[in-house]
Amino acid sequence: MKYLKSLKNIVYELVSEKLIELNTILNKEVEVLLKNYDGPFSKELKENSEIAKEKKLPLCQDTGIVEFFVFKPFNLELEESIQKTLFKAVKDVYEKHGYRKSTVIDPLYSRRNMLNNLPAIIHEFEIADERELKGIEDRKLEIWILVKGGGSENLSALFMMPPSSDEKLISTVILEHIKKHGPNACPPINVGIAIGGTADMAVTLSRLALFEYEPRISYLQEYNELSEKLFIEINQLKIGVQGLGQGPSCRKVRVLGYPTHIATLPVAISIDCYLSRVGRVIIDV
Amino acid sequence: MFDTFRIEPNVELCELRAGQEVKFTGKLLVMRDAAHKRLIEVEKQTGTLPIILEGQIIFYAGPTFSNGKMVIGPTTSKRMDGFLEYTLSKGIIATIGKGVRTQEAIEAIKKHRTPYFVAPSGCAAYLSERIKDWRIAAFEDLGPEAIYEISVEDFPLIVLIDCNGNSL
Repeated sequence: MKYLKSLKNIVYELVSEKLIELNTILNKEVEVLLKNYDGPFSKELKENSEIAKEKKLPLCQDTGIVEFFVFKPFNLELEESIQKTLFKAVKDVYEKHGYRKSTVIDPLYSRRNMLNNLPAIIHEFEIADERELKGIEDRKLEIWILVKGGGSENLSALFMMPPSSDEKLISTVILEHIKKHGPNACPPINVGIAIGGTADMAVTLSRLALFEYEPRISYLQEYNELSEKLFIEINQLKIGVQGLGQGPSCRKVRVLGYPTHIATLPVAISIDCYLSRVGRVIIDV
Repeated sequence: MFDTFRIEPNVELCELRAGQEVKFTGKLLVMRDAAHKRLIEVEKQTGTLPIILEGQIIFYAGPTFSNGKMVIGPTTSKRMDGFLEYTLSKGIIATIGKGVRTQEAIEAIKKHRTPYFVAPSGCAAYLSERIKDWRIAAFEDLGPEAIYEISVEDFPLIVLIDCNGNSL
């Protein structure tokens, strides 16, 4: 497909717009959830989204480290590396709008602030499924965006379980983890879980499970029943909105499965705060 | 139950009970991970502190500045639990943040009779409206992790752990 503008400019503009939206406009589902909540801090949380929208202020001071999951069609040509375009979008948006610069260059010693919120974390997947190989009618560049706050990120976990573990044992491990740490993640939380793969694949897929879209990754499985069960069980923990015991503890659970080695059973958990700042940009290419 | 209280002697703060909602008007000292670490290093090296901790309330937070406003909200208090005995022994009279604290921290709160409050998290646009004034108090180079002194009005808080160590 030919564009009047260059593809990199389209990516830059759409990603920039989405970053502003994710930081300032409350997710519709969360808005409904808050409407039905009248426990502690309910007035403040409701007013927060109105003020953020009206005054173009971020919903949370922690405007996160930005993660991108890029699904690129086979043989797609861009005028520059996608990293260059995405980094520029993050840097410009965070500088221009005064979103917090939350990254430090050296994690262990100096912890000096980067002052531009770079780097963004980028995972690239090349789509080469059958549809792609057969024709060009479905060629889309998908960029999934996660604005990830540090408070909920500290709850990310990976458990290398014995391969003979059953659903009950895995659920117990997940529930114990959430019971212990959940109140610190700004609940009601959004939980992404991936079972299988290798350690790194499980963690990456657990991030994708925070989104509601279909990742174009072969062999991926959706564990709907387990997701439902965990959703009910997490809410039974009665962590509550803001961890104060009232209202829902969890808004969404999604469990994904992936092939794994005969000796392994990785279980990765990613937890997102109530703001659930996830979205995507899709471009026909 | 909405009361307004000011930074006054410990006694008054200790009248508050876990679960109580309050609106705070007064000054807060904003500091988080890096500032705590640096403060201790500076004291070790120079024998003095660049700021006065006595009688102050710490707000665990790291602001940003958007459209000319300080946008702020609580960060996870648990990460500062290892520093709590230190700051309380220097005369801090209360702490504000988000989330639960460790047993070690609860013991320190009880011992020093210094309540711990939570402020609404993920609520920074709202809280920005409650800030009347601010200044950088120390460690400007730390950016969002610098120490700020802020003046707030009707700042919404809930007592999560009271002076007696009771938790909500």
